[in-house]
Amino acid sequence: MIEHLLILGDLLDLFTSPSRLIAVLIEGLAKASLYVMIASGLTLIFGLMDVINFAHGAFTMYGAYMAGGLILAVGAAEMGFAMVVVVFLLVMLTIFLVLALVGTVMEVSLIRRLYEYPPIFQILLTFGIAITLEEFMRMFVEFQGINNGQYRFGWETPRLETVPTALRGATDIGLVRFENIHVLEILLGVVTIVAIWTFLNRTRYGLFVRAGVEDEEMAAALGINVKQTFTVVFAIGSGIAGAAGVILMWDPLWSVSVPLALAVLLPAFVIVIVGGLGSFKGTVVASLLVGMIDAFGTWAFQTGAITFTGIDDMMIFGILVVMLILQPRGLFGVEGQGDHG
Amino acid sequence: MSFLELEDVQTYYGQSHVLQGVDLEVDEGEVVALLGRNGVGKTTTIRSILQLTPPRSGDVRFRGESLVGKDTHEVAEAGIGWIPEGRRMFARLSVEENLRAAVPNATDVDEALGTAYDTFPILHERQGQRAGTLSGGQQQMLAIARGLIGDNDLLLIDEPSEGLAPQIVSDVGRALLSASQEVSILLVEQKLSLALDLADRFYVMDHGTIIDSGETDDVTAGDERLRRHLSA
Amino acid sequence: MSTDAARPDAADGGALAPWVGGYLRDHAIHIAVVAFFIVYPFLYDVLVGQFGLPAEMLLPRLQTMLVVLWLGLFAMSFDFVSGYTGYLSFGHAAFFGIGAYTVVLGANGQLPLLPGGLSFMTLMLVSALLAVVVAFLIGLVSFRLSGVYFAMITLGFAEIMYVASRNWDWLTPGQSDPSDGINTPAEFNPELGVPFVDPLQVETGVFGDDAILGINFGDLLVYNENLGAIVASYFAIGAVVLVCYLAMQRIIHSPFGRVMIAIRENEERAKAIGYDTFKFKLGAFMISAFFGAVAGALLVAYRGSVNPDAAFFFLVTGFALVAAIIGGLGTLAGPFFGYIFLEGIEEFLARGGSGGGLQPFLAEFLPGGILETTIGGDLTVSGALDAFMTGHGEFYAGIVFVIFVLYVPIGILGTLRLRLGTDSVATYVSRRLGGSTGTGGSGGGGDSGAGESATAAGSVTAEGGEEDDPREGGPAEGSEEDDPSEGGPAEGGK
Repeated sequence: MIEHLLILGDLLDLFTSPSRLIAVLIEGLAKASLYVMIASGLTLIFGLMDVINFAHGAFTMYGAYMAGGLILAVGAAEMGFAMVVVVFLLVMLTIFLVLALVGTVMEVSLIRRLYEYPPIFQILLTFGIAITLEEFMRMFVEFQGINNGQYRFGWETPRLETVPTALRGATDIGLVRFENIHVLEILLGVVTIVAIWTFLNRTRYGLFVRAGVEDEEMAAALGINVKQTFTVVFAIGSGIAGAAGVILMWDPLWSVSVPLALAVLLPAFVIVIVGGLGSFKGTVVASLLVGMIDAFGTWAFQTGAITFTGIDDMMIFGILVVMLILQPRGLFGVEGQGDHG
Repeated sequence: MSFLELEDVQTYYGQSHVLQGVDLEVDEGEVVALLGRNGVGKTTTIRSILQLTPPRSGDVRFRGESLVGKDTHEVAEAGIGWIPEGRRMFARLSVEENLRAAVPNATDVDEALGTAYDTFPILHERQGQRAGTLSGGQQQMLAIARGLIGDNDLLLIDEPSEGLAPQIVSDVGRALLSASQEVSILLVEQKLSLALDLADRFYVMDHGTIIDSGETDDVTAGDERLRRHLSA
Repeated sequence: MSTDAARPDAADGGALAPWVGGYLRDHAIHIAVVAFFIVYPFLYDVLVGQFGLPAEMLLPRLQTMLVVLWLGLFAMSFDFVSGYTGYLSFGHAAFFGIGAYTVVLGANGQLPLLPGGLSFMTLMLVSALLAVVVAFLIGLVSFRLSGVYFAMITLGFAEIMYVASRNWDWLTPGQSDPSDGINTPAEFNPELGVPFVDPLQVETGVFGDDAILGINFGDLLVYNENLGAIVASYFAIGAVVLVCYLAMQRIIHSPFGRVMIAIRENEERAKAIGYDTFKFKLGAFMISAFFGAVAGALLVAYRGSVNPDAAFFFLVTGFALVAAIIGGLGTLAGPFFGYIFLEGIEEFLARGGSGGGLQPFLAEFLPGGILETTIGGDLTVSGALDAFMTGHGEFYAGIVFVIFVLYVPIGILGTLRLRLGTDSVATYVSRRLGGSTGTGGSGGGGDSGAGESATAAGSVTAEGGEEDDPREGGPAEGSEEDDPSEGGPAEGGK
């Protein structure tokens, strides 16, 4: 009874204290930004190609490792704040391009063979690729570990030490306290959304993509090279996955490790399904929803109202299940997509 | 050398042998009607020309060049447009975006849009509207405009009058008639009178082959020759 | 594996009633496979004893075969629902986990309503029934969905259980971290066997019995006497797996199973014929959950402990899927062989140190000069072997899997069936032996060649083209679904 009163007290505290509420909202936005970044590549690829890319998380993990390596290699740890951020953004661009290239190769050489087959075969193929890629990275990481000291950096520790001091810790503005890194995350999230939205709605290629999403045959009959569109979208989706890894590398909650692949993949699935398969708008809204619920869950855990440590993961999959029961198409899903095998 | 030429085209859906040797020709500037009951392979013939359902054997030639083995978008780039059964709008795209998607890469988009809007003023009025929210007749106009805006020399038109009110059908008929001034047309149409009005020649299909052909001037909608093949 | 039932029959077959002969013929391939599994430990023992490292390199260790037993059963239970109804049970690890955790918690006396000190067999049954109930509840909401959505909602349920198994303090009253797993108490001795028949009880586990029916396996093994307990566990667990397989195989070949296949081939048609497909799907899901949980319980029977990553983890399902594809989705036995193949490859390529696998062999037989040769930097050949092989079986498994998906999409058993032109290998073997009744229950012809083809044709129609390349339906399906208003495929049909 007393326990319940305490929870009620905390809740009251949250909603009667705007500064606490705003702090939780900012954290929610930051989490939502990360979710947008890890999920939108998956959405783009699924929306056009009906391919559920199980290697998506592996791409993010590769992005994170490569970013860590690059940033250490250029010695970012010793640079000033502005310089580090510039390097960071350049690294992000590089990783985007590298992973886009990887995605292109994968689409052209492997996935393209299976478009004619039921979707399960693309799931199987990308799953196999994911297993292989993840184990390959583990090999590499352990190998570096074996030769410790011979190389410039050890891979087995997260790359947190490269985070500039200005981005560590928290800042108080008035009564509101927020983590510095969250500002960068929210900015990147906004940039991601704007960039993808512009690509889809303001470019000729984006128009082709949207036409192809709706009716592949009709698009082809109008002279649109749908195959090439597939390749480009797969490349962009893979690139975004990799770029997301760059910011995850700096976020203390995620950081770099081989299991990051699965840790990214499963929430990304949830976001994509909750938002509605193939709907970019849905992905953005679902990211916000999940990010906010995640932030409030974390808050509840911090206040001691909930003592269960896995609360955020638990809630993410809880949202998935509840959404599929109540509204199987997700928030903005389209009838017919994802129904077949 | 014919404009469009199909020679012994054999097409399958999985195991089922749908086109069992189709031969037909369309000459430049000509309107040709493809007649037949439901399920005899008319739509499949069009899909085979577009390589959406590639023939297993036989040849499809356009201006003497074989289309077999090409991608559908290459067929489209060669100058063949498709106005499919059921219109197949990009329902969530606006009217204007539907048209833009059909403009070839080399063509000036704004100019092409201007021409289309001059021909179909109703589309201009509704340019910002989602195509899925248009009426059936308006969608058919958009589908025809989409076929014309693509700089095509041959249009494959499948059941343009299907599901439309009689008044609208005559609008569509007029639009097709004016289109036929510019391009060749292969027309699949259930409404025999409309088909015979528009076409110069006709083919009749049954069980995946051509069983009759001739000049439309030689027949009327009530002819025994056609009725035998077309009534169930 | 069926140590007790099949062997006496096999010996006296000729003297018994005619149906026994027919039955044995029908199951000839099963008997052969079972016989191989029975002989394997002794074969391994002799070959490794005689030929040493080369044999050890090539043959999967007994411990590996033991692991394959329950993982293979799990993969078969996954295939039972996913391969035969076409509904991908992506959260199937939930049932494996329920099986394993229920047994461990029961042994720890933590299950509400249940008295402590229950026998392993009872706990296994409880766990399987619990899994059936959970499958009923999950299926009730999940089978309203299909395709990706079904896969995702089942995954969601399994992940919730996974998170719970990692974080829920209640699982480990003794303060330890639940994510490290939980143990059965030291005094818990899992016994497998025929209920109420004392001589047929085998205590499983590394420190369990090494004899069944007074036959001491430690004595039978010439070179590896210390493996007696493992062999005893292998037979006991193998017998359970065999019984489960036969039960599932029976169901597949029953009218119920034919409806499952009909649902996979064309659910709308199955509905139109008048089947309440929802009930059949739910039933199949519950049955597969039962056997999935038994597999999980068998893990505990040997290991005596369980942890979240070995039970509820997504990759537990993932590798069952991999095994199912390699062995052949929708072939039931295929996934079991798929697991042997998978584990065999992992062991061959990735096991370092002592024991089987390629690397110890190379380390022994390659001249030291080659091993110490540097490849680049200060990396030696031996160092490279160590870095790129030891413990990285998943890398090779992944590559093999990708190759299978691209080039052998119907798997080993599926390809075999296609080659033999029959609905199942068992039917084929039976026919070759002159039998007239296929296990598929299709109408029998005579024993002539004409009869054979009649049986084959009969089973093909009965099984709804089970051996077809599953990808064949792809293109036609695609064009059908792209736009319902477009009349192409429908036209073709008439």
